[in-house]
Order: sequence, then structure tokens, then C-alpha cells
Amino acid sequence: MSKRNIVLACFVLAIRLLAQSTGVQDADAGRIRALENAWNEAIQEKNRSALDLLLGPELVLVDHDGLLMNKANYIVSVISQELHPSRVVNEAMTVNLFGPVAVVSGLYRENGIRRGKPYQFRERFTDTWIRRNESWICIASQSTLIRP
Amino acid sequence: MKFICTALAVCFLFPLAEAQSTNDAAARSNILALEHAWDQGLEREDVKALSAIFDNSVLIIDYDGKLLTKPEYLARVKLNTARLHGVVASDMSVQLFGNVAIVVGVYRASVIEGGKPYTRRGRFSDTWVMEGSNWMCIAAIATPILR
Repeated sequence: MSKRNIVLACFVLAIRLLAQSTGVQDADAGRIRALENAWNEAIQEKNRSALDLLLGPELVLVDHDGLLMNKANYIVSVISQELHPSRVVNEAMTVNLFGPVAVVSGLYRENGIRRGKPYQFRERFTDTWIRRNESWICIASQSTLIRP
Repeated sequence: MKFICTALAVCFLFPLAEAQSTNDAAARSNILALEHAWDQGLEREDVKALSAIFDNSVLIIDYDGKLLTKPEYLARVKLNTARLHGVVASDMSVQLFGNVAIVVGVYRASVIEGGKPYTRRGRFSDTWVMEGSNWMCIAAIATPILR
């Protein structure tokens, strides 16, 4: 094999490895976006078992009013009958991957009825996910209201 | 035989566990030191010191819900329209997940905005990852405490 062919082979191998790792990263980013959407559905449907699957036992969550919650407190707050969300969506999500860690930033919008009156939240959020046993779980989440 | 196996396991695993807890303690104190360095950098408007703390891809959500990249955040610090006279972080907890750490805490910032002094109080979460031998901040968010 000539020197030129070896260089060419190395180049092709490097491109394939890069494409493979980019493919894995894209797949992970897609998976995490899907999990974010599943979280929103679970909020809307007040689905305790879905929330339990998505959130890690060590979750720390800071709500848009600065309240610090653990996983149990958070699930109770979602299931409570005070809020009746009718629409929960994320927009403009970005997923940054750092090996087994992913940081998601985006806009969160929630509309619904609270104590008989309509409400609306518009927040910016950051969620941190880690890969554990081949699945991703959220370990930290915080949101901040967007000032008009 | 069972006794020998147990004794061997204790002899090998105990030092390993001890080393792990020493490493974790060192990681926690390094990260807390970086959090304090961040506060000092803000007070002194020391953009160079702050720049060393953040990964280039860091995303920061400020107390007003504004999403900032690293250059945007550093430019905001430099501009300092709301003059910061003191930033103190407290009640910090560090959770370690291998090479990832989550810090949650409370901050109090003394600010003068439009000639009026006031105190800004909020809760923050910062995500750190070990890059090489350094901890770098990859995400940060602040939320005013309203209740």
C-alpha cells in the first residue's frame, strides 16, 4: 500500500468515525427532545408514573417563583388539583451534549385554569439530563419567568 | 474461606471507598471555590477571571429570563448598567454525578439601578463538568425568589 493510500484510508476512517459520533450525538439529542415533550405531556395529563420514569431520585428543581423542590414535592405539585393545564409546550430548545450529560435550554409555555381563572406562564428553562443504564434521566431543572 | 473473602473485600474496598470520598470532598470544595470566584469576578467586573470559569458553549439564563451565551454574558458584566456592590452566595449544595456537578444555592446582590439601591435575591442552579483537570461551568440559571 502506498503512502498516499494509507493517508487516504486514515482520512476516510476519521470521517466515518466522526460521522458515527455525530450520528450518536444527534440520536441522543433527538431522544432528549422527545423526553422533554413527554415531560410536558405528563404535566398536562398529571401522569405520576411517567414523571417518576423521567426524573431521577436526586432531582433538584427550582420553580419559576424560586421555590426549591425535590422529586416528591415536585410530583405532588404537578398532580395537585390547583392547576389544570390545557396546553404545555416547549419552544426553541437547544441540546448541548457533554458525553453522558446533556443540558437543554428553551422556552416553556403553559396555559390553563387555576382556581377557576385562566393563567399563563412564559418561562426560560434549563434542564440537566444524565445517561444512566442506557436511558436518560433529569437530575436538575430550573425556570425563570420572562419579563415582558 | 468465606471469612477470608470478606476480609479481603474489606481490605481492598475500604481504601477505595475512602479514596472516592476524599476525591468527592476535594471536588466539592473546588467547585465551591469557583462559585466564590464567580461572585468576586462579578463584583470586580473581572471579565478575564470569569471567562476562565465558563466553557465556551455555556448557556446562562439571567434573573430576568434572558438567555445569554458566554460573550453576551461577559459583555453584560462589563456594561454593568445595574451596578453590583456585593454578590453573596449562600445555602449552596453540591451534588456530584461522576464528572458532573450540580450546585444549587441562594444569592443576594446589592444593586444600584437608576440611582436607586436595592437587593436582588434569587435561587441559582449551575452545572459543572470536569474538562481535563478543571471544572468548567456549562449551564447556569438564576430565578428571583418570589415567595
